[in-house]
Order: sequence, then C-alpha cells, then structure tokens
Amino acid sequence: MREIPSGSGQGPSGRLLALLTAGPGASGWKTGLVTVAGVAVALALSSLLIAVTGGSPLDSVRALFQGSVADSTAWTSTLLYAAPLLLVAVGACVSARSGVFNIGQEGQVLVGALFAAWVGLRLAVTGPALLVVVLTVAALAGGAWAGLSSLMYRLRGVNIVVSTLLMTFVAQQLVAFAVNTPWLLQETRIGDAVVAPQSNPLPPGALLGSIGEYPDLQVNGGLLIAVTGAAIIATAITRTRWGFRLTMLGLNPVAARHAGVRADALGGAALAVSGAFAGLAGAVLLTSPVGVHRLQPGMAMNIGWDGLLVALVARNRPGPAVAVALLFGALRSGGGFLAATGVPSVVVDVVKALLVLAFVAPPAVIAVLRRRGSGVRTARDGHGAVPVAERTAL
Amino acid sequence: MREDEQAGEPSPVPVPALRLRGVSKSYGPVAACDAVDLDVYRGEIHGLLGENGAGKSTLMKILLGLVRRDAGTVLRDDEPVDIGSPRQAAALGIGMVHQHFSLIDPLTVWENVVLGDTGRIDRSAARDQVLEISRRYGLPVDPLARVAGLSAGERQRVELIKCLRGDPSVLILDEPTSVLTRAESAELFGVLRRAVRSESRAVILISHKLDEITAATDRVTVLRGGKVVFRSATARTGPRELARWMVGREVSLGAEAAVGLLPGTYGSAAGEAGPGRAAMAETGPEAGGSATGEAGPAKATMTEIRTEEIGTDEAARGVQDPPPPVLRLRGLTLTVDGVPVLSGLDLDVAPGEIVGLYGVEGNGQSSLGDLLSGLFAPDSGTVEISGRPVDLKRPGALHAAGLGIVPEDRHGSGLVPDMSVAANLVMKSLDAVSGRVFLDRKRTHALARRLVAEFGIVTPSTDTPVRDLSGGNRQRVVLARELSARPAVLVVAQPSRGLDVGAIEDMHRRLRDVASEGMAVLLISTELEEVMTLASRIAVISSGRITGVLSGGEVTAERLGTLVGGATA
Repeated sequence: MREIPSGSGQGPSGRLLALLTAGPGASGWKTGLVTVAGVAVALALSSLLIAVTGGSPLDSVRALFQGSVADSTAWTSTLLYAAPLLLVAVGACVSARSGVFNIGQEGQVLVGALFAAWVGLRLAVTGPALLVVVLTVAALAGGAWAGLSSLMYRLRGVNIVVSTLLMTFVAQQLVAFAVNTPWLLQETRIGDAVVAPQSNPLPPGALLGSIGEYPDLQVNGGLLIAVTGAAIIATAITRTRWGFRLTMLGLNPVAARHAGVRADALGGAALAVSGAFAGLAGAVLLTSPVGVHRLQPGMAMNIGWDGLLVALVARNRPGPAVAVALLFGALRSGGGFLAATGVPSVVVDVVKALLVLAFVAPPAVIAVLRRRGSGVRTARDGHGAVPVAERTAL
Repeated sequence: MREDEQAGEPSPVPVPALRLRGVSKSYGPVAACDAVDLDVYRGEIHGLLGENGAGKSTLMKILLGLVRRDAGTVLRDDEPVDIGSPRQAAALGIGMVHQHFSLIDPLTVWENVVLGDTGRIDRSAARDQVLEISRRYGLPVDPLARVAGLSAGERQRVELIKCLRGDPSVLILDEPTSVLTRAESAELFGVLRRAVRSESRAVILISHKLDEITAATDRVTVLRGGKVVFRSATARTGPRELARWMVGREVSLGAEAAVGLLPGTYGSAAGEAGPGRAAMAETGPEAGGSATGEAGPAKATMTEIRTEEIGTDEAARGVQDPPPPVLRLRGLTLTVDGVPVLSGLDLDVAPGEIVGLYGVEGNGQSSLGDLLSGLFAPDSGTVEISGRPVDLKRPGALHAAGLGIVPEDRHGSGLVPDMSVAANLVMKSLDAVSGRVFLDRKRTHALARRLVAEFGIVTPSTDTPVRDLSGGNRQRVVLARELSARPAVLVVAQPSRGLDVGAIEDMHRRLRDVASEGMAVLLISTELEEVMTLASRIAVISSGRITGVLSGGEVTAERLGTLVGGATA
C-alpha cells in the first residue's frame, strides 16, 4: 500500500546491475585469489579452444603478450585503446553510483563522434582552439543524448536502462545516415571515385597529438584527458557535497529524498555526466590515431560496451578503473595482434570474453560464497536484515 | 481422531514433540546458542522469551535447517534427526511463520499459499483448500484478494494459512504480533489455542512482549546471551519475574510499560482461549485476582493506575495556558493509490509537551509519518512550523523549517545502511561540515565522534557502515542526527518497534529529556502503554483524522476505546 517514491528509473535489471557492481568486499585478497584462478581457467579454456580450432595455444599466448605489452609499439596501441575505454568507464561510474543505470554508452560515443566530426569539418576555427571546441561539443552532445533518456523517464516514466539501450540503435542509424548523405557528412566525391560511407578526414588542427617525445612510444593526449577525468570524478565522488548526495541517492533513494536531495535533478545530472564522458570518448576515438580521423559507422568498435565492463570490473570506482582500462586496452591490442597471426577473429573474441569473465566474475562468486556462509549477522540481529554485499561508505 | 483424547487434558504427553539437548552454535568467538536444552510437547504453546540477540532466532533457524548447529542433538518424537534444509524441516513437520512477511504483493492470496509447490497447479482446489483452512481455524480471508491490498493482520493470516497447509506438528511463530493490533493479536492467539488443543500440535511462540507470553503460553523458556536462564510453567511465574530473567536486571517503569508489563492487556485473549486460560490469568500477580473471562475489570484497574501517574507527572503543565503550538497541522488530506489515508487531519503540538498520536495500525499514522518525512506532499492542507507554513513539495523544506523526525521505517527512509555512521550523522546538515563544494572530513568526523559520545551510540568506529549496528544503535544514529540540528519539533514514529528493553528505555528517557528542555514532541505509536507513559496529551487517530484529544485526567479506557473505534468524543 505504501508507495515509496523511487528516485530513478530502474527495475529488476537495475538491481541485477547493482548486485554485480556491489562495492568492494571486505576481503581483497580473496577476490585476488579467485581472480587468479579465474584467469587460469580462462586461459586453459582458451588454449583448448585454439587447439581444437587448429592453432597453437602457446603461440597464441605469445601473440597476445607481444601485441599488448611486449614493446613500445604494442604499448602505444594499448594506451590508445585505454583512453576512450577509461572515459566511458568514468562516466559509467557516475551514473551507476547515483543508482541510474546508463547502458547506452555505445550510442553516446557515436553521437559524440558525430557532432565532433561535424564541428571539426564545418567550423571555421583554426589551430588548437578547434580541438577544444570539438571535444567540448562532443561532450555536450553525448550528455544531451543521455539527457533525452532522463527526459523520457521524467515525462512518461520510460525505464532508463531500456531507453538508454535502445537509443544506441537510434544513434547508429543517425551516424549511418550522416555519412551516407552528401549534404551532411559524406566524404567529398573527387572525380568519378567511389565514395565510401564515411566523412572527410578531420583537419590537423582538430587532432589530438602525442604528449612528450619518446622513441617509438606515443602517449596520446586522449589518455591525459581520460586520466584527468578519472581523477576529477574520483575526487568529486568522495570529497564533495555533490558526490555525497550522489552516493546517498544511489544507495537509498528514499533516505536521500528525506535528506533533501532532488532525486530527479541529481539522477538526471548524473546520467548527463555519464553521457558527456561517453561523448568525449567518441571525440577521442575520432581525433586520436586509434582510427583514421574520419567519422565511420563502425568507429565506436564496441568501446561503449567495453567501457561499461571496465566500470563493472572496477566496481564503479574511477581510480581502479584506470588500471582496468589499461588491462582492457591490452586485451584489445593483443587480440588484434592475435587475429593477425591467423587465429580466427571469432575465436579471438571468445578468448577476450573469457578473460573479461575471469575478471568480472570474482566479486559475484565471493558474494555467493559469503551469502551461503551468512546468517552470522542475520541471526544475531534478530530483525532479519540480511547483509549481502557490503559497500563502502564515504 | 487420536488428538481428541488429549484435547481435554492439558497436561503434556510424556514424549516431547521436539527435544533439544545441548544445541550450540557459534559465530567466530560469539556463541549465539550455548548448550540449549528445550522440550516442546504436543498440545502446548511454548513461549520463547529473550531480548534481541539472545539467540532465539538462531535456535529457530537451526530447527528450520537454515543454520547448521555446531553441537547437540535434536530429537523429533524421541528420534534423533538431522535437519539440513528447510525442505527436510518441512518433511519433519516443522513449520514457521516469520516475523517479516514473506508474501508477494502482486499475487493473490491463494497464489501465495501454493507458492513453492511443484507440479500442476489446480486453481480451484487451491482456493477450496485456502477456504477450508480459513474456516477450520477461523482465519477469514478472501483467497482471490491481492496481497497488496491486505492489512497487516490479514497478511499474518495468509502466512498462517500457508504454514498450516503443510500440516506441521510443530509450528514456530517469530514475533507474530509485532505489526498486529490488539484485537488481531487476541484473535491470533485464539487460533493458536484451537490448533494446539484440538489438533494436538505444538507451538513455539517467540516474543519479547511479556504480556503476550504470560497470557498466551503454557510454558515459557527464557534465553539470555544464548543460554537458557529460566524455564517454568507460565502459571507459576509472572511478568516481573520474566522481565528480570530476560534482561538480567530490574527495568524502569517506562520500559516495563513499553514491553507491555502492565497487566490485563491480553485479558480478552485469555478469556476467549478456553477454560484453562482463565485460571492462568487469575494466578498472574498483577491481575490482582480480579481477572475473569471479561477484560473489563482488569482494564479499568490498569487505567486508574496510569491516570494517577499522568496526573501527578503532568499536572503542573496542564494548569498553565498552553503556549502557541510549534507544529500545526491543518486539514491534511492525502490519497494514496485511490485510497484516502488522511482526511482533514488537524493537530497541534506545543513546545515542551509530548503529544501521543495513538490509534490502531493502518489508520493513517504511517502516511502522516511519511508526509512529515517529506516523502509525500498532501493533496490539501498545511503544515506550519513555528507559525510559518512549509512548502512540502520542496525536498528538505521540513528539515530547514525545524522539524526533526525519527521515522518508523528507520532502515528505509531514516538511514543509508551502506554508508558510514559519520555519513549518516551529517547527511542532513552538510553545511556544517563542508564548504561550498568540498566536504571537510576532519569536521565530519569530529562532529560524528561528538554525537556518538553524546548519544551513547555503540559502534567500532565512525567509519563503520550503519548496517553493522544493532537496531537500538541505528535508532540512536537517527535521533542524534535529528537532534543535532536543534529542531523546534521532534516527530518520533513507533520508537520501540523492533527494539529490546534497554534500547526502549534509553529512547524514552531521551524523549522526556528533550521535551523538558522545551522541544515539542509528537510521538506516533500503536503501543498504548508507550503513549500512556510518555505523552501529556493523547490524540487518537482513526480513519485518517483525529477523533479526539485527551489530556492526562480525561483518559479512561472507555473514552479511548470509543475514539479508537472512530467515534468523536
């Protein structure tokens, strides 16, 4: 009978995500142990799979290693992938912490890239100022795209998990339309040449350069942006009033409302921030050497989905997300190298997925183990308040 | 039936239905159950009394196969048994009605009852079965009704039907009356009495309410700190002795009242229960030998005692002209899901007084609490604090206007259990511990430590998540936070619900203290004793409006009863 006003659009799916993303457990070493075991199992299964499909497991592991961290070229590629992954993950941390589950990053990345390309190609600004404008517009576009879901929730009560997901497909169509439409962003026809569904390359002023000079190794500006973003969000979440209210809203919307938090406004803002980070990731994909500096329909390369996974593995903490993003970057660049050695790309995907599982599963495994062994506090507490997964405070 | 022979004979059969010998269970260094011996016979209601954390719940979880015992034996009809899972427990005829309802709101009654069955579901057979059980035990409920629309008492009935359908020979009830009204409780005990007498079942009644243990049980076992400290036939003991054993010390009058130590409360339940019960009620020392099948005389005595108390305590205040109210509720009307829950509620609370809002559960007091927590805005009506109307649509407006509240549902709306004690203590007054943007951790923890010390919150540190605290300490966290904002009016909803005697006593003392310092206190409670011991005026709520306000001298059982029943006095 009592209606508890919920602050944010989430349903069972939101709760599932909450379980998966439940904060760090009390026993870090246990998680570590299970993770190591999980990686071992994943590697064993992968080896088996590669052997069955006619490859050599040992060579494959070597390729994975060589392609990701063996030399500075490999590191360059790893870092290039890590930057957009981290940006998406940091945004995901913000929304998930507020209890609003944005899973539409893939689309927000595309929309960010779309607007970044449009501004970069059409705006008559020269020099580094253009890059600043491109990045800003991409962030605004991504934020606005996510904000649409928030609007739909507030106006019509559309579930945010569902709407952010479905908006991804709309974004994909938008980008496809833009790069197939001459008066929008399709590349200029030169003579009788066939035009591909892609935009013109961005002018040099709109591109992200490398920071510093190292032999062979390139550290792209995108990584700097991502790490700075992670640091800012980490501080904002733990040290500011805004972060405090955000955490409160995520952990108990009713109490947050009672304590004077405007749930709709704050949750909407968190969603927009997460969209803005995804949009920024789109701009980084467009302007850093990870791609070809052109808007292409497939340019998001699942960075949005993988970034969400990064946040999941880092359990919504921006600090650990930096390390996890590096790991995922390494998996991507190593996976690409592996595919180049002749292992079918489908198998490479499976190997990557197994490794991701090995890193995502441990907290859930621990939670299950703990729940089985629980009853300690339940029994003594007498109210049946069941502590399942613990979360950190402040 | 075999049981019929035993029905008339209250003396237990020699072989206990359930016998526990030396049952122990430890969690790390803490012994939740320490060599517990317990005999439960067919045809008896066995009371299991103890404070929170005494080990009652652990013991029952062992019996239900939810927790494995470390040592000891469990004998079922003298056969040693191993209970490894709830399924096995059910097969052994052990069934339980849990303290917190485990019903699924959107489903209908019969669907909830057959939930967990395997195989084909026969809808009409299930409905007939529900009706049959409900008729046999006098548990009126519509099998087609949706659980979401049922009152607490009706839900309890559904739980009971669900449990009885499994035909358990040992029935365990964990704090069954915690959300029931007096009448519903009496009815429940009547049902249990029938099940025990005529069908020779055994019932274990877990409670910390002394009056219901003395009124409804045949024998009683008291647990403290995981050990059995006392056992007796209920007739040969009394609430005072039981309270002593339960707490291990004498308790003050206020706390006694809150756990229902005052006599006569369940006189009517005893009256209905059958010939064996009346005799028992007479032997209760506090009943003064006057209790008969009727509740009337006992109630009257009780009320006289209380009226005197209130008279002496509060006379001085009553004589003066009341100061202007700090909290003014005018014409509050609220409809939730098409059901009117508040209809034109008016109430004033003046500084320095405790106004008790008393009524039977489900008459709008929960919604009033939610409204004063800022969770609902009323359809119409105003809330004025210190003479200024409050815009209830603005989050945090009530707090800013000087209203502190300890809500009924403390884990739900009062606290964020996953955040630290410090965070929960400062969450409503961030201005005090932060600049425009950044939080000041030093100031946060300094403030938290000060409040922890001042309010006697027992916690390992201020960084401990609130979910790790006991119920009493959680409540102290809420109270500390609310009082630290120096409110003009404090609203406390159901403060003793789910707490043990010590915590209740502490809470009551603090409420009296803040009132004597000049704060206006609104106490929303369904425990008559609590209202009677604390409040200087009693406002009675019925069907979402105030049916009458009585001050100390005017309170009689009859008047209260009339008001609670909905008639305006």
